[in-house]
Amino acid sequence: MSNLTKSFNVKPRDFVGAGEASIKVQEVLKAVGFEEDLIRRTSVCAYEAEMNIVMYGGDGNISLNIDPEKITLNITDDGPGIENIEMSLVEGYTTSSAKYQEMGFGAGMGLPNIKNNSDSLEINSQKDKGTHLKIRFKVKG
Amino acid sequence: MAESPQNAESVHYVEIDEALCNGCVLCMKVCPTKAIRVKNHQVARIEGVCINCGECVRVCPNGAAKAVVTESEIKEGQYSVVNASTPLYAQFGEEVMPNDVLLGLKRMGFDYVHDQSYTNEIFSVALELYFIGNLKKLDARLPLISPVCPVVTRLIAYRFPSLLKHIPPLVPPREIVAREAKKRLSAKHGFKQEEVKVLHITPCPAKMISIKEPMLSGSSYLDGAIGINNIYDCLKDSIQKVDEDIVLHHSGGVGLGWAMCGGETAGLDMNCLAISGLQETICYLEKMEMGLLKDIDYVEFRVCLEGCIGGPFTVVDKYQAKQHLQKFIRMFGVEKRVKRQYVQKLYEKGWFFIEKKPIPLKDKPPQLSVSESIKRQNRVEEIVKLLPMSECGACGSPDCRTFAEDVVDGEASLESCIYWDGKK
Repeated sequence: MSNLTKSFNVKPRDFVGAGEASIKVQEVLKAVGFEEDLIRRTSVCAYEAEMNIVMYGGDGNISLNIDPEKITLNITDDGPGIENIEMSLVEGYTTSSAKYQEMGFGAGMGLPNIKNNSDSLEINSQKDKGTHLKIRFKVKG
Repeated sequence: MAESPQNAESVHYVEIDEALCNGCVLCMKVCPTKAIRVKNHQVARIEGVCINCGECVRVCPNGAAKAVVTESEIKEGQYSVVNASTPLYAQFGEEVMPNDVLLGLKRMGFDYVHDQSYTNEIFSVALELYFIGNLKKLDARLPLISPVCPVVTRLIAYRFPSLLKHIPPLVPPREIVAREAKKRLSAKHGFKQEEVKVLHITPCPAKMISIKEPMLSGSSYLDGAIGINNIYDCLKDSIQKVDEDIVLHHSGGVGLGWAMCGGETAGLDMNCLAISGLQETICYLEKMEMGLLKDIDYVEFRVCLEGCIGGPFTVVDKYQAKQHLQKFIRMFGVEKRVKRQYVQKLYEKGWFFIEKKPIPLKDKPPQLSVSESIKRQNRVEEIVKLLPMSECGACGSPDCRTFAEDVVDGEASLESCIYWDGKK
């Protein structure tokens, strides 16, 4: 077996449990013993994606796949989908409500942050059919 | 030296007394580095990396987990200096002023007594200078993490190495005290620097490990540490007999506040958070590693609840100690007593900068290639599936997942799981 797969569910609007899936992702990466910066970048992306599900998505899942060359995060949810993918990648663009902004979220940095911290990001989303993010990180050496 | 404090100079490391240990799992369960094992229901043993947090000492109902005290003397012909860390002032009630405590120490026979709270104020100014001077370069390193608590720096080096770059390259006040005491007092009184012995009165066992194996300097300038509980009776008695009237305490309320959670940040003109307690510290370090708290400039972490007044070697209840300190702070005011220009000069001379960068602490997993490590993790997952996830600890490992890792690494056998029915 040259790869390792783990999968974690994420519940929408569950602000108490929010972040737990990303912490588990982080634990797996640490257990494998990747270098620190790769762990940090992957954790940042997992957390941003998890918060997107919690705030905007439907029932969701974070699946982590590790092989000797790369780390892949497949993040899916069956929520309302992203209406304008291009704009969602612009820093500061947000569709979030005033309520989330009061909570310190919804600054329009989620997807841009994922893009900046990963080696590749694919977004598949259709209105009312949910969203699928595929985020990849290269493993050096 | 009059009443001899020699025997009080001591080295502390956490150790488990096998005669007192009844093989319960409490220490193993609280250990943040999962360093403890209780094999065959016998006795607890520290097998992994210990960061000297003292949690096992606190939780052990049998007094078996304790900080090791080895004694060494201040020899004839040496100059003895004692550094009073701030929580010491809170141990003798509201009526005993910080100056009385310092006079009490002097009466015990130390040649020179230093009030660390004053150096704390100097450090606060230096930290602000560092922050302002490096604002543009700091972006990816915010929030900065206080370098003061030696357990926190070790916890980061062991569990959160990607956050090491958030620790500013500044020497903690206790080391500044020792370095300067050696330099100045040796010149003033005609001793060699190595003949000036500086002891730190400490609320926690972790100071000792930071003296033996410092994270932030090549070697520590301190020569030893004395637990507050070790010196308490002797010092209390000495305070009552004080007949001198000189001023040894120089700080305002800002420096005194350092003994409690939020005290360090109270003196800083920055956007800060103060967090105390081991579990909270871990929780916020996890958040930081996920990119949160970016809008904060500085985080004060103290692994002991309520800060250093909650240290394992303190005598007075931490909430009472806090009460005493708050009274002192009201009394001495919240202005820093150090002059900014004075600190600025020292800062420009390089007074505050560390000699070495902290590096990650590692033990497990053993140095494997990524594909070997993936194989190991998959075997761990297979074994986890066989386990009840009851987290009972009866196998001798702290939790089911760690037990599975121990089995894979050949350090435990599956038969040790009391729930395992022998089927593979």
